[in-house]
Amino acid sequence: MKLTSLLLLPCFILLLAACGTARRGTPLYAPVSTSEPAIAKGAIVFDTYCHKCHPGGEAGLAPALNNKPAPGVAIRFQVRHGLGAMPAFKETVISDEQLDNLLAYIKALRKAKKETPS
Amino acid sequence: MTNYLLSKTIRLQKRILPLLLLLGLGSCYRLTPSSGGGQGHVRIGARPVSPEAISLPAGYKATAVATDLTFPTSITFDAQGQPYVIEAGYAYGEVFLTPKLLRIEPDGRLTTIATGTKNGPWTGITFYNGNFYVAEGGQMQGGKILRITPQGNITALAENLPTLGDHHTNGPVVGPDGMLYFGLGTATNSGIVGPDNYDYGWLKRHPDFHDIPCQDVTLTGRNYTSQIPLAGTEGQQTTGAYLPYGTAATQGQTIQGSLPCSGAVLRLSPEGGPLELVAWGFRNPFGLAFSPAGQLYVNDNGYDVRGSRPVWGVGDYLWAVQQNTWYGWPDFSGGLAFDGEKFKPPGKEAPAPLLQAHPNQPPKPAATFGVHSSSNGLDFSTNASFGFPGQAFVAQFGDMAPQVGKVLGPVGFKVVRVDVHTGEITDFAVNKGKENGPASKLGTGGLERPVAARFSPDGQSLYIVDFGVMKVTEKKSEPQQKTGVIWKIMRTEK
Repeated sequence: MKLTSLLLLPCFILLLAACGTARRGTPLYAPVSTSEPAIAKGAIVFDTYCHKCHPGGEAGLAPALNNKPAPGVAIRFQVRHGLGAMPAFKETVISDEQLDNLLAYIKALRKAKKETPS
Repeated sequence: MTNYLLSKTIRLQKRILPLLLLLGLGSCYRLTPSSGGGQGHVRIGARPVSPEAISLPAGYKATAVATDLTFPTSITFDAQGQPYVIEAGYAYGEVFLTPKLLRIEPDGRLTTIATGTKNGPWTGITFYNGNFYVAEGGQMQGGKILRITPQGNITALAENLPTLGDHHTNGPVVGPDGMLYFGLGTATNSGIVGPDNYDYGWLKRHPDFHDIPCQDVTLTGRNYTSQIPLAGTEGQQTTGAYLPYGTAATQGQTIQGSLPCSGAVLRLSPEGGPLELVAWGFRNPFGLAFSPAGQLYVNDNGYDVRGSRPVWGVGDYLWAVQQNTWYGWPDFSGGLAFDGEKFKPPGKEAPAPLLQAHPNQPPKPAATFGVHSSSNGLDFSTNASFGFPGQAFVAQFGDMAPQVGKVLGPVGFKVVRVDVHTGEITDFAVNKGKENGPASKLGTGGLERPVAARFSPDGQSLYIVDFGVMKVTEKKSEPQQKTGVIWKIMRTEK
């Protein structure tokens, strides 16, 4: 297998993954459990800083987040440094603790289970 | 040898792949076309109405109580709890009809109570002490606050409000003090009269119209150049803030404030009389409601990426309104200043400050909604029997991309609830389907463009005013008559 094929294959798989539904929020999906404090706090961080461009994690001004299989380290890097049209959120805006909570919420949102058939 | 090459390739791939992904995602915004809810394939024929196409939290049920409305914008209830709806009479796309006040009969029939003149849109209505109070947008003659008797007699309590431009006279709601609170939208997107205002139509009717500050402001002298085929102007024109098209600003120039003004919340006695300033520095304070605690909340539509001074990445904001406070237009968004690249449209110039000094540091919003979501009418749940008491329910009209800017997916087209103490936003009524969007795009009979949400006087039912179908292209908006619906949502299980 050529090098380019090896590189393109995972990219293609990730693109396919990104083509799936990005809807995860209530009332279509079961509410994200807020019994874990980090997730509950992360929801507030998300709605304060992220919802504007990724409403509910879906596509809006920016691409959807709910169906991106990006690892935590990549999300953390992107939040701190920005990417393309996305601005950077420094520690003075989103603290390290808030960023931890945000990651916990995003991961919980991505795992949300369907509640009602759509 | 082959195994060695393969393992080397895989190691290389592991290093390069994240970079490729980041680069791919980074260029994603510029490469992808706009995909708003009104764009592309949108059904503009007969509108099916199917409550089952709407997803609600478990234990809630939707029904349609009135259909075939033309541009409905607001609903209220008389002393007996009977619902009344207004039809705007004016819609994007320069459609001029007569606004109407209609009673919704128990069987869904509509009875006309009053008919206005072609000076819409009628944007809001409230019933108080035996009369209806209506905000008349004022696209032709300026905004008005009207009192309408149950017999249909119309009296103007306020006239000549400066809302002949991009945004209108909105509201009204009655405060705990018994006063009528209403909003006045700005003439322009971000302070500069320009080509977008010509394209929207109003600059041809009112070539000298511009924004008016509520208090004296001093300008930085920042000007913008544009060229449009406006009668009386030739070639490139230079235009400054709060000035007519073709009038340049100078550094240190003072623009005198006056009432009524642009981008403000004012109040007025239901008996008429002088206007009082409540707060200003809004862009389009469309939705107004008092919380159960008596706090005024206002939904403000954020800047668009259009005209001579486009602003990018701006949400709609829910504000807890404090008396005599300036909320940031035209130099702040959501409490953040235009002081760099933050609100710079890709490939365009960043918006520069227009005011030399600002009246105050704007507060932080109570909630931030999606960019271009057009978060409009709102109301508070007051009844634990319905659920979520103290939370705000907000109707999101949905994006008007590409005219307002580009989006990568439909934004809005639903009703959300907001915990105003934390800013948390949760979907309440959304269309079923793999993607978000209006029913006309999804091919269902669900929500189209919710513009107002209001509880019945007993707090047991939430009514959603659904404006109807509107297709949007680069050049024009195509609102469809007879496609408006009033939805009613009740709790069936607890």
